[in-house]
Amino acid sequence: MSEDSRTEGQSDESPWSKASGAFIAWRSGDARAVDELVSTMTPVLWHVVRAYGLDRQAAEDVIQATWLGLVRHHQTIADPKAVASWLITSARRGAAAQARSARRADPVEDEKLHAALPDVESAEALAMLDDEAAGLWNAVASLDERCQKLLRVVAFMDRPDYQSLSHDLDMPVGSIGPTRARCLAKVRTALAKGGGR
Amino acid sequence: MNVHSTGDDALLEELRDMWLTYDPPPSDLVANMIAAVAAADLDQEWELLVLVRDSAEESAAQVRGLATARMLYFTVAEGWSLDAEIDGDQVRGQLLDFDGDMGSVEVVVETRGAAAELWRAGLDEFGFFSIEAEPTGEVRFTVHHRGHAVSSRWVEL
Repeated sequence: MSEDSRTEGQSDESPWSKASGAFIAWRSGDARAVDELVSTMTPVLWHVVRAYGLDRQAAEDVIQATWLGLVRHHQTIADPKAVASWLITSARRGAAAQARSARRADPVEDEKLHAALPDVESAEALAMLDDEAAGLWNAVASLDERCQKLLRVVAFMDRPDYQSLSHDLDMPVGSIGPTRARCLAKVRTALAKGGGR
Repeated sequence: MNVHSTGDDALLEELRDMWLTYDPPPSDLVANMIAAVAAADLDQEWELLVLVRDSAEESAAQVRGLATARMLYFTVAEGWSLDAEIDGDQVRGQLLDFDGDMGSVEVVVETRGAAAELWRAGLDEFGFFSIEAEPTGEVRFTVHHRGHAVSSRWVEL
């Protein structure tokens, strides 16, 4: 399987190249191009931010702050190809900061709280409706928090910025690659135990 | 990617699909973000100059006794500010606490509506500018610097 498989079933252009294309167009004066940039990257940012266990409202706030940050600081992005990583890194930092302050205020783990909240149908509940997804969901849920976070963030990133990831997850830079492999192996083990595959 | 086994990539993709399916962004999220970015007024108003004092509303401020002059003070979050004095057919002012190169700054005064007009001026080394102009109705000030523009809200004269 190649990198191309990542975009299968979606548009033939990857979000990363779409994002940098829109960013270049916007910076060269096409005011509408920013809408495409926002449409392309917002769903990715959602998953990155949710990996930190933020509730939906807080996640939305962090994403909005990320976009306003881009508006203010876009001139500091020298390489337009880096716009996606810039956004993801900025969203992740915002989410990490938010999660830290939320933890200070509330000793209940967000993940547990989610299941109890009458919000919308919880992601867990939805996953349980589908056997195969339930297996995968349970396998992920059995991992420690750090593994869950790492996998979700790297699943939505092309080239993770290990330096800042290591800071957010409080783990040495050199151990992120091996940890990723170990976490995926744990998912496989959990799936096998669950009789999945 | 090729440093990782293809099996890992495949599993990661399955996980990605799972999260996409079971924890999708709220349906109105993209629209909200587009609106938020549009409201930030990308191509012009990076950071609004906020009117902090208007002599028309504080008569005591007219200590110089210029009955016809109107003083406006604007400030931005970055810390610098713009003072403007509108007196008859003269608009004078000064950019204060500005870190950049004064020589590269241009101040634009504009009015809108039926009598829309626009005047431009550069700054001297102390940040002063002077424009021969008689703005009436609604007016706003824009400070241009190295491709960026910061505009005030429209102020009713």
